[in-house]
Amino acid sequence: MINTRKKQTEFFELSKLRRRFVLIMLLSLFLVLFSRAIYLQGMEKDFLQKEAENRSDRTVKLHAYRGKIIDRNNNVFAVSTPIQVITANPSIFKASVKKRKKLARLLSLSRKDLERRVQKKKKEVFLNRELSPEKAAQVMALKIPGVISNKKYKRFYPAKEVAAHLVGFTGIDGYGLEGIELHSNELLAGNPGYKKILKTRSGRIVDDLQDVKIPRDGQDIQLSIDKRLQYTAYRALEKAVEKHAAISGSAILLDAKTGEILAMTNYPSYNPNTKGKSIDFIRNRVVTDIFEPGSTIKPISVSAALESKSIKPHNIIDTSAGYYKVGRSLVRDTHNHGKISVTEVIQKSSNIGAIIIGENVKPKYLWNTLNNFGIGKKTGVRFPGEVRGKLKHYKNWRKTDHASATFGYGMSTSLIQLAYSYTVFANQGNIKGVSILKTKGPTPGRRVISRKTSDAMLSMLESVVKDGTAEHAKVNGYRVAGKTGTSKKLGPDGKYEDKYIGSFVGIAPVSNPKFVIAVMIDTPSIESYYGGPVAGPVFSKLMTEALKIYSIPQDNFIEADELKREGKPDSII
Amino acid sequence: MRLNLILYIILFLFAIATVNSEHQYRNNYSRLDIEKKTTLELRDEKTKLEVEESDKSGNLRIQTIALEKLKMYVPNKKEVKVIK
Repeated sequence: MINTRKKQTEFFELSKLRRRFVLIMLLSLFLVLFSRAIYLQGMEKDFLQKEAENRSDRTVKLHAYRGKIIDRNNNVFAVSTPIQVITANPSIFKASVKKRKKLARLLSLSRKDLERRVQKKKKEVFLNRELSPEKAAQVMALKIPGVISNKKYKRFYPAKEVAAHLVGFTGIDGYGLEGIELHSNELLAGNPGYKKILKTRSGRIVDDLQDVKIPRDGQDIQLSIDKRLQYTAYRALEKAVEKHAAISGSAILLDAKTGEILAMTNYPSYNPNTKGKSIDFIRNRVVTDIFEPGSTIKPISVSAALESKSIKPHNIIDTSAGYYKVGRSLVRDTHNHGKISVTEVIQKSSNIGAIIIGENVKPKYLWNTLNNFGIGKKTGVRFPGEVRGKLKHYKNWRKTDHASATFGYGMSTSLIQLAYSYTVFANQGNIKGVSILKTKGPTPGRRVISRKTSDAMLSMLESVVKDGTAEHAKVNGYRVAGKTGTSKKLGPDGKYEDKYIGSFVGIAPVSNPKFVIAVMIDTPSIESYYGGPVAGPVFSKLMTEALKIYSIPQDNFIEADELKREGKPDSII
Repeated sequence: MRLNLILYIILFLFAIATVNSEHQYRNNYSRLDIEKKTTLELRDEKTKLEVEESDKSGNLRIQTIALEKLKMYVPNKKEVKVIK
């Protein structure tokens, strides 16, 4: 019994010792954990929180998609397409000879060039900055360590040279630098956004912590341009410039009822998809370049005379001798036209006739009329680089200034201004605002001259194409009105050179004008330099196509003289 | 004692439900993100097709095919029939 009690006492004493040991161990462990927790929560809190955020939270930039530029029929002129930028980290780049060969081929690099790049002592080297997504996928399928592919967007211009001056292009940062890309940059670009997200270790986004800034995609811009007519205008200009060995050519086609620009092009042009664009070809000369319009202004000065009632269309003007002295200057006609009517002054493009008619119009009235036709003012199209042109104020006119203003010298206009001014004759005396963006139907005009004067002028302009200086501008089956212009170019010293600008501005069909076209050929040097033969065929080609595409009914299906010459059609159903 | 036990059980159930809803939310958000990425990929694909269409319907290409392959030309006056 005593022995048993002794054993129990020993057991409890030992157990007490063990219990204390375990308790001390647990307390020590708890103390370690507690002190660690205090250390982490108190001393290293900021650092650890930052590290955790770095690993799981990301502020990502949300790309704003740049809007498209499309024509009036939704054909694409400019679009952002995805491309892949392939980079490599040389320090971890490792690939077999076979893979290196394949990689070089996919990246369009020589083996030597690839080796040179991946041996550079840099953190990142570019292998290809513009690789198609398909090829980039093939590159990534090689699973070469250190090779990374990143998606970016690049602007692509499917119309290439044909619409280059119109659409323009963007810089490396995606900002519009020329043309519509610059004109509508804010609308096209949109606004990029930023967002804070939570990522798992595998890179999966599991939560949206905060919208720092909501992105806004750019808007699409629909132009008034018709791609088919733009192409026709470009090809017709190309042909004319090459044929006459000219420096350049420009053309603009307006919808007479709405003022919309249906085509606006220049030749030579450039490909906006390629780098290293020549500065000489970048300007949209239709709106940026000015020239003395010459005889294309005569219809406006004659309109002023008709409006002021100083003459009537059937009045006879004596242009005998073929030259006329204004102050100390001598003005000549190409021929001695003798006594001619006001209509014939326009038809034969007589400078002397225009001066005599203009002399009866007060300078203030003539200047106001020119100004109301838009000469010396911006058209309101707001195209980048648009010029105002030059029209000296009538208060500063000398006698020669008054005379030269009647036949388009001593002033300068852009081609778009000329086309704009002729919308007056196409709209019974109302001028139509010009728009590069698609509009919804006819726009209200501003009255410049009376309907009677406008009708009289349209008839005179028709005679120019029918029997005058612009037979090259005829369009089969349609009545065409227009005026040629041939002006001397001013040299750098301010003196006239033996270089010319041939131009033509026309309207068709005369029965119900639908289109206004202005064409300008700069310095034609072969065959002819007159506006009729150099610019007329471009007008004819472009107008024919426009009338055909828009199904405009013919004035006379086949003109009488053509019937006589070629015989009647085979059958009339 | 019994009330405490019931409250503990309710607390436990709510805790489980909270964890579950957070899990569901993250799963759904992840799916939404994938869908958004798919939308962008489809937009890129559409752009690619538009460019291709534009290329195929290019005036120069049509003109070349019309003239060379289909032997098309503008009819002369004698070939024109007038419908009245």
